[in-house]
Amino acid sequence: MIQPFTSDPLRWVAEDGRPIRELPDRFTPAVLRELHHEMVRAREFDKKLVTLLRQGRTTFYAQSSGMEATQVGLARSIRVGHDWVWPYYRDHALGLAMGVPLLDLISQCLGTNSDTCRGRQMPHHFAAQRQNFVSISSSIASQVPPAAGNAMAQKYLGVDELTVCTFGDGATSEGDWHAGMNMAGASGAPCLFVCENNQWAISTNLKAQTASETIHIKAKAYGMPGYYVDGNDIVAVMEVLSHVAEGVRAGNGPALVECLTYRVGSHSNADADAEKNYRTREEVNAWLARDPITRVERLLDHLGEPVSAEERADLISAVHREVDEAVLRAEATGQPDWRIMFEDVYADTPVHLREQAAFLRAEQEGVRA
Amino acid sequence: MTATQAKPQAATGTGETRTLTLIQAINEAMAEELARDDRVVIFGEDVGARGGVFLATAGLQAQFGPNRVFDTPLSEASIVGAAVGMAVRGLRPIAEIQFADYMGPGFDQIISQAAKIRYRSGGQFTAPLVIRTPSGGGVKGGHHHSQSPESYFAHTPGLKVVMPSTPYDAKGLLKAAVRGGDPVIYFEPKRLYRAAKGQVPVQDYTVEIGKGAVRREGTDLTVIGYGGVMPDAEKAAQALAAEGVQAEVIDLRSLVPWDRDLVLTSVAKTGRAVLVSEAPRTANFMGEVAYVIQEELFDSLLAPVMQVAGFDTPYPYVQDKVYLPGPNRIAAACVRALNY
Ligand SMILES: Cc1ncc(C[n+]2csc(CCOP(=O)(O)OP(=O)(O)O)c2C)c(N)n1
Repeated sequence: MIQPFTSDPLRWVAEDGRPIRELPDRFTPAVLRELHHEMVRAREFDKKLVTLLRQGRTTFYAQSSGMEATQVGLARSIRVGHDWVWPYYRDHALGLAMGVPLLDLISQCLGTNSDTCRGRQMPHHFAAQRQNFVSISSSIASQVPPAAGNAMAQKYLGVDELTVCTFGDGATSEGDWHAGMNMAGASGAPCLFVCENNQWAISTNLKAQTASETIHIKAKAYGMPGYYVDGNDIVAVMEVLSHVAEGVRAGNGPALVECLTYRVGSHSNADADAEKNYRTREEVNAWLARDPITRVERLLDHLGEPVSAEERADLISAVHREVDEAVLRAEATGQPDWRIMFEDVYADTPVHLREQAAFLRAEQEGVRA
Repeated sequence: MTATQAKPQAATGTGETRTLTLIQAINEAMAEELARDDRVVIFGEDVGARGGVFLATAGLQAQFGPNRVFDTPLSEASIVGAAVGMAVRGLRPIAEIQFADYMGPGFDQIISQAAKIRYRSGGQFTAPLVIRTPSGGGVKGGHHHSQSPESYFAHTPGLKVVMPSTPYDAKGLLKAAVRGGDPVIYFEPKRLYRAAKGQVPVQDYTVEIGKGAVRREGTDLTVIGYGGVMPDAEKAAQALAAEGVQAEVIDLRSLVPWDRDLVLTSVAKTGRAVLVSEAPRTANFMGEVAYVIQEELFDSLLAPVMQVAGFDTPYPYVQDKVYLPGPNRIAAACVRALNY
């Protein structure tokens, strides 16, 4: 029933919330409600981060609004803390749903002493060891060959893990993407590639990105199956990803899943005029109508278990409180000082770096070196 | 006189001028080159409708159409490689790499193809192209949006490497790069995009690649820099002047080739040199400048050549400002040289 290389995205729930395939038993109203909450949490996190940007408390943010079903659905389709994830920079809904503490995400965005990445990277490029959520690189597609290698190591070690590698549609144009896909295909390593196809790479539309009709068909060239899913339908995302992940884990080799979704906001805060510059209000509106959160709400309506207005308002204010608290807690830890700049460059700090650190100490503390 | 023979003219010349920012000067240079020569094409990630992430190409697609100014797929190898192919076939491509930090995926095309095709084909094939890219720190970009990779490229024979710090130079150097016969890596110090303002002639002009500029005359020591550090170098010189020390400030403008004559003449006069850049210190291009100074002027040096550079760490996010050699660090190195 779950076939690769379909011409239309696989979907379970229509935009008006009616199931168009039999709803699998595991999607009880209670579970759907949990998924809904998780998606709302990610959405509200986005909103709060945009506020923090406006307040000048952080400097960069790339929203995932509109893409929650893909990311939350992915988190629910793997074994968190057991499988390994090589994410990209838009994946904090994925991180949140995988259980990365919200305080850690906020701390990274604020670059405070509570940042587990120690203020080294720009905002929302986090890493989470407990979740095997490997550090995010801004360099597009540079995570793809290492993900293949991570999976090759899993195969070599004979462990029952798999590697997940996520990326946007734009990333599939990079040489690294093709190199990594080919490596995984040739080695038969347990790598699950997930394209979060939100259809725009900054201002470049998918049509200008590739002459290929879809992303998933590119899998054929690398000798792996490619699946096409409605990325705004969390039931579809979870059904397909868990099915495919099982196959990858069972030793069937790598697979590519394309989740068709949409980035509703701008690319980042550096791209505030998305609509004025390169896309139309009509297009955005058409995708707003397919919103993944609304879709689950409609499904719950359809099942006779609606989310009440009050419940939703409580949920939203709880997230806001959670973020506000995290911001205060993170800021209270202060900013890392100059010292940490010289740590983690190498396993052992070589003499030239120790000298440079001494130089900076003298400069910062007004002491003679 | 044809455009390609246009003589460089001083910003203070008789021609009409007006104030532009560095990025406006870059935008104008491209608009004028597109208008002057229909072999010129501009492409890269988001340079079309969006006008580039920093808006360097703003309005160019609207003015010259999508055949002349266009978006590419997200692939630096494709962008640089295609530029090489177009240049070999007779176009004059200006390729944008969105951040210098992302030259990595295009690196092989730059060093294996662009840099070598003239030499390895005995001059039968050439690749005159320009790769423009924003570089350097000071914008809270963390290590993937703040690096200064110019030394990698200066190390590769066959490439010219330039980095302006004023709107006048930005425009003149870009035009010279487009009209020249070689691949040019054109670094744009992004923190000066809007911060650097200056007089730019209305008339066409170029700035010769390989020529530095004296920003301030002085007799006591020579401060040599390029790109984003220049305003700070000048501030340091001002602070020293208040103490009665006259520093000469030189802007290299071009790293390959670099203006040895200008540097050596100045250091021979002052006897002291302080080299300033924000790239990590180890294997920094300024090491080459120091080497030439000591080789040529050993006997007339009054102090060792001092280097002020970035630290040998990946560019940090939180310590963005501490990482950069600001006016105080530059002035302190000058004082060390003076007190030696
Ligand atoms: C190698 C590289 N080139 C360019 C960039 C600049 N850049 C940052 S995000 C982006 C678009 C990425 O689009 P896509 O892969 O579709 O992911 P999305 O942001 O749409 O989720 C670009 C070009 C980069 N980060 N890395």
